[in-house]
This record gives sequence, C-alpha cells and structure tokens, in this order.
Amino acid sequence: MLDAQLNMKLLEMCSGCGACYSICPSSLNLPGYDPRAVIKDILKGDMDKWLASKSIWQCLECHYCLEMCFQHYGFENAMTALRTIAAKRGLHPPQVKRGWDMFVKTSRLGEPALPARKKFGLPDPPKSGAEEFKKLHALLKEAKEKDARKAHNE
Amino acid sequence: MKEFAVFWGCTIQTRFPFLEKSTRIVLDEFKLPYRDIDGFTCCPEKSLVNNIDHSLFVATAARNVALADELDCDIVSPCTGCVSNLATVKSELNYNPVDRAQVNSLLKGIGREFKGTAKLAHLVPFFHDAVGVQRIRQKIKKDFAGMKLAIHYGCHMIRPSHALKNDDPLNPKKFDNLIRALGAESPDFPAKMMCCGQGLDRVDQHDYALQMARLKLKELKAIGADALLLCCPSCFLQFDNNQFLMEKEGEKLGVPVIYFTELMGLAMGYSPEELGMNSHRVDCSGFMKKWDGLKAKPVDTQSLEDELNKAGALG
Repeated sequence: MLDAQLNMKLLEMCSGCGACYSICPSSLNLPGYDPRAVIKDILKGDMDKWLASKSIWQCLECHYCLEMCFQHYGFENAMTALRTIAAKRGLHPPQVKRGWDMFVKTSRLGEPALPARKKFGLPDPPKSGAEEFKKLHALLKEAKEKDARKAHNE
Repeated sequence: MKEFAVFWGCTIQTRFPFLEKSTRIVLDEFKLPYRDIDGFTCCPEKSLVNNIDHSLFVATAARNVALADELDCDIVSPCTGCVSNLATVKSELNYNPVDRAQVNSLLKGIGREFKGTAKLAHLVPFFHDAVGVQRIRQKIKKDFAGMKLAIHYGCHMIRPSHALKNDDPLNPKKFDNLIRALGAESPDFPAKMMCCGQGLDRVDQHDYALQMARLKLKELKAIGADALLLCCPSCFLQFDNNQFLMEKEGEKLGVPVIYFTELMGLAMGYSPEELGMNSHRVDCSGFMKKWDGLKAKPVDTQSLEDELNKAGALG
C-alpha cells in the first residue's frame, strides 16, 4: 500500500537526459555524488552496491530536479526508493533511525520548549495529537499486514 | 479573510520559540484571523519519515490537513518544510482517488476524514498575496532603505510547484517583492537559489552541511550583504547555528541571519529584544547598528512608491 517504487520506464528515459544534473546542489558541490552512475546501476539491476553508500542520503530533496524534469519524475524519486529499500535492511544513518523512533513514539520530532515559551510570554502550546496518531499508525500496520497476507495467498 | 490555523511545526516549537514570538507579533499587528488547533503532529518531516514509510508519511499529513478541513479553516505556516510536505500529500490525494479512499478508510478508524479543502500557504507568499505589499507599506514605521538584504528562499517555500502553485519555482519573485516593499535592496548572487544543505546534518554528514553553509555565506560576504534573510527554521538552523559552530572553530563569517517575521517586526517598531532576536547564535548587533545609523537620515520614499506602483512591478 502506497509504497515508494522505482519506475524503470521513466528511469530509462532519465538515463538519456540529464537536465537536472547541472542544477542539483549535491551534484555541484559534493565530491563523488553522481546520479548518473546510480541510474546506470539501477538499470543494470545492480543497485545493491548503493544501498550502504552515503551517496543516497546526500540527495537534499530540494525538488530542483523534479522542476527541471521533462517527465516530472525527478531523480529524487529514484533516491527515495533506494533509501526506502536501504532503511528496510537497516542501512539508514543512526540519526534517521533516532528521528524515526522519536516520531513514531511521540508523533513529533521534539516537544515544545516550555520554559522558553514562558520567557517569551507565549500561550500554552496546543494539545498534542500523539494518542490519535498512534492509533492511526496501528491501523496502518494492520492494513499492511492484511495486504501482505492477501498477496501471499494469491 | 478566511480564518487560518498556524502550523508551527516541530522545529520552531522545540528549538526556536522566539520565531513563534515574532510571528505572533506580526500576525497580531495586521489583525489577521489566525488560531491554534489542538492535535497537530509533525507534518511529517520528509527525509526522516517518507524515506522509511511513505504510507505513514501520507496518512500523518492527511490527518493534519483533515483537522483544518473539519474546522473549515486554512493553514498558514512559517516553516517551508511543513507547508511543502502537507501540500505534497494534499495534491497526491486530490489527484489519486484510489489512494485517497485508502487513506480515508484508515482515518475513519480515528473519526477523521481528509477532504482536502483547507488551503495551505507559507507565510511569505501568504503575506504577498493575502495581505499585500501596499498594506505592509502602510504599516511600517521605518523601512530598510540603504540596507542590502540577501534573500534565501528555502527550497520548500516554492517547490514542488505542482503542489504549492505559489510562485515561479526556478525564478521566484514574491519574497523579493516584500523585501523591496520594506525598502531594502535584494541583491542577486550566484548561490541565491541554492539549497541551504541542512538536510546533510540530518543524515550524519555534518562536515558537508558546513561546506554548503560556507559556500553561500562566503558569497554574501563578498557582495557585502548586511544580512541573510529567510523564513524557514531548518535554513535558520543551518545558517545561524552552523555559522556559529564555524565561528567557534575560528572561522568567523559574521553574516547575521534574520527571519522574515523579525524584519517585519523591526519595521513596525518592535525592538530586537521584544522579537527575541537576542536568542540568535550569530550576533545581529552590527546589522542593528547600521540600521540605527540609517534611521536618522530622511529617506526618499516617493521613488520607492513609484517603483512599486508601476505596471508589472510585482510580476
């Protein structure tokens, strides 16, 4: 359900274009960051070697490539798919793991800074939606398991 | 004007409550119909959540939009990431009936429904479109004529454009128009539209994050900008906090980083202390000193008015 996926047809076109490379901040500034090499390997079916690399986490999700892309696909979508696969194998950076853990536990990435709010005379923060969020997350997990069982039986 | 909920987001509430302070001051000054809503969660943050579970990314954002839908109000946020993430999901669900039905069957379990009626806007384009340059001009006590304020848009204020639809995603104008309305010069510089690079800090690549911050800050030094102006807590973290870390290592670049709401507050006569600007890590006193010096001089506002009023000036 709603999973990030690689679209090989679009990537095939992508490999012959390159409109986005000249504007990608990571391509321009980070040594060794080379979307072209990654696309080539994905198309060859050899993406595994990228899953443990730092490279796939260097896409800044600035959406520049998406704006430049004639297919409105954007190289970032390929990177998102690779990162999703990497995360499933536990290969994501520790900080991403910590952020994710905090998010699923509390529904946010930090709690409002109460002493500072007082200092600035800010009103009490709105109530958290954590309980409802946790229920939603549980329902989602259930739905996914049901999907998986269905796929297995077919 | 329709009532709107402010989506503060995690970063402002956790790390930068003073940015909430200056935002509230500005919203109150313009008597805008804003409110807080109970129950908002993280938008959620794309790089942490979407990379691991797209379905939870979609369901969480849809629930946040549903809270505003239910109260028949819009959403405005002083955070670019929050708006961009919420808008991305809203657009995805508005154009994909199958996904939308799936998400709504989940939301039904918690008594919610995503209708996708709430309009989503970032504070900067909101001020440009809903408040307007002329109304801002009327409100300001002292403008920034004579100051060179370099704008950093922040990628997610304007992209992805299919979801936000608020400005030209490659050559945006609205933030520039607002700064011109405040009398300042908004210089062009090669890295103006480049991403801040803060994302690298979230994936344990701190040195590269600094490298990206340095690149833009050095350009600003070179063109003699008085400050870097932005309206995104993540970009603020990158340029204020990380610049401070570089200072501590002996690399002093000295570019004050000013939030859009702080600049508006200053123009309306609030002091840096009232706006919480003394909570910045990088010293803003040089910026204030120069501005205080300029305040003494009478300013030619007529030519500025003419410039802003001529045909196509804000296009």
